[in-house]
Amino acid sequence: MTIVALPLMLLWPAGVLFAVLDGRRRGVGLAAVAVLAGVFAVLALLLARVAASGPQELVVGGWPVDVGIRLRVDALGAVFAVLTCGVLGAALLQAALAGIANRALPALTLFLALGVTGVFITGDVFSFYVFFELAMISAYALTGLAGGGGRFGPALIFAVVNLVGSFLFLIAVGALYRATGTLEMGAVARAAAELEPTTAVLIAITFFVAFGIKLGLFPFHFWLPAVYLNVSPPVAAMFAGGLANIGAYGLLRFGGAILRPELALAAEALIALGAASIAYGALQAIARRDTREVLAYSAIGHAGYALVALGVGGRAGIAAALVFSIANALNKALLFLAAELRGPLTAAAFLVGTLSVAGVPPSAGFFGKAALFDASVGAGSTTAVVLLFLGGALSFVYLFQIYQHDRWRPREEREREMPRDAAGAGQRTVALSLAVVVLALGLWPEPLLAVGDQAAQDLAGPERRP
Amino acid sequence: MNLLFSALIGALFGCGVFLLLKPDLFRVVVGLVLISNAANLTLMASGRTRGEAPILPVADGRPVADPLVQAMTLTALVIGFAVTALLLSLAYGVYRSRHSVDLDELSREEAREARELEAHEAEHDEEPQHVAPEHHEVEA
Repeated sequence: MTIVALPLMLLWPAGVLFAVLDGRRRGVGLAAVAVLAGVFAVLALLLARVAASGPQELVVGGWPVDVGIRLRVDALGAVFAVLTCGVLGAALLQAALAGIANRALPALTLFLALGVTGVFITGDVFSFYVFFELAMISAYALTGLAGGGGRFGPALIFAVVNLVGSFLFLIAVGALYRATGTLEMGAVARAAAELEPTTAVLIAITFFVAFGIKLGLFPFHFWLPAVYLNVSPPVAAMFAGGLANIGAYGLLRFGGAILRPELALAAEALIALGAASIAYGALQAIARRDTREVLAYSAIGHAGYALVALGVGGRAGIAAALVFSIANALNKALLFLAAELRGPLTAAAFLVGTLSVAGVPPSAGFFGKAALFDASVGAGSTTAVVLLFLGGALSFVYLFQIYQHDRWRPREEREREMPRDAAGAGQRTVALSLAVVVLALGLWPEPLLAVGDQAAQDLAGPERRP
Repeated sequence: MNLLFSALIGALFGCGVFLLLKPDLFRVVVGLVLISNAANLTLMASGRTRGEAPILPVADGRPVADPLVQAMTLTALVIGFAVTALLLSLAYGVYRSRHSVDLDELSREEAREARELEAHEAEHDEEPQHVAPEHHEVEA
């Protein structure tokens, strides 16, 4: 059972070790990538085990059950952990190949991976907060480093806004403990089902606001574009493909499992907020020309889809939210990594990402959207179906707009902005392999859909379907 | 007692939000510290039992204070310290590079720089005129 704790046990010492090494050296960066690759392998093994024989548990420190803090990996956590470690590894590899300008980047990436992985595999509400904060602190530091040259403003806004979210989360954890008398997620879920609606709804709203801020949903999005614009493309890929998963996972875990009746109660509000996110993100993205800004607004829009799927609810809705979030994280990571590389092959990789975001088969994005579509039709939600069509059409517009702006221009004009040989073969390979993953998941989506279904079953239980 | 405690937490949170909205970086940081303390007090207040200090050996039959919330608050306090240190270092970074902690002044300065950058780009780049008409068609 120690395999459950192994990712954390690998990442923790590695993070401390790399903190004293000079990350600007190529070897150090590549060694950090190797650590992440090792963790990725362990997590993949863990996912295989979860898929074969159900959730894995470990009570840390040899404490008796119900006393010690519990680590618990189910399909939802395992698949998010694998995804996030993969994305972080790919982004760090690209940064290392391009040359890292700051010595702390590899160590901070490892701490970010530690925090995010911890969030996905803990079974305890309070240690969720601790890991969550660890990931966020690494992210603040990463944004601050990227600023350099006097641009600490975005990092500061990012930190201040998200800290308010974190403290709200902490207050919600306190309230949940007060109301249910336990911190273990399974027991909390059972006790929360018996709560008075007024109490539970207040707690649920506080959690929702906290995760909405992390995910960059529409009314809480204002920090997001400035941050994505300010950091380097690999770090933006880490945020969009790794850190944002915490928000999606938190909504699924707390909404889909722990506070399920409240989720059903808020279905209309969630769909309305999701719709606002989709429309706002897409329209803002259309109005921008800078690739990274377009992608940042697109991230706001795509956070809305997962929310709509949650609002649609039921097993199909939760499975759809999960499949969509996975596809979306991969797409965003691919787009950020490929956006600033030149050459026909990376243009192809970028195009794959574009088509995947728009939901054209064969790509992972197609199955994300198809699952959403299926869930909305199944639940008879006309609003959601219309939204999906509209959102898909708008994402076509803004993504091809930047594709055209970046790639279909006279050669000398493009090369003035980004010299042709600025990207090495290694960087192109990273972007290409992510594109291959997106395509492969589109051509062979069974594992993805099966994991989504299993996660939804673990979360929602087989019996109920609101 | 409960009322007093919630009033105190509410007042702390309110002061924190008030400071957060001030156009001065260090006030913003102090505001966050107040909010974090409001959260810590909420955690402390969410204990389910009251009584003696929860240190072994416990006298029989006497109620014991909930140790779990104290452990949680301690952890949250430590995290709060780390975050405050990080925030102060970021704020100091802003001060060192801009020689100001006034947010209005900083955003004016950034807006001016952005305008200059755009003007600089526009000299080289005539792209917007080519692309712009298409946007309108698609949006309509």
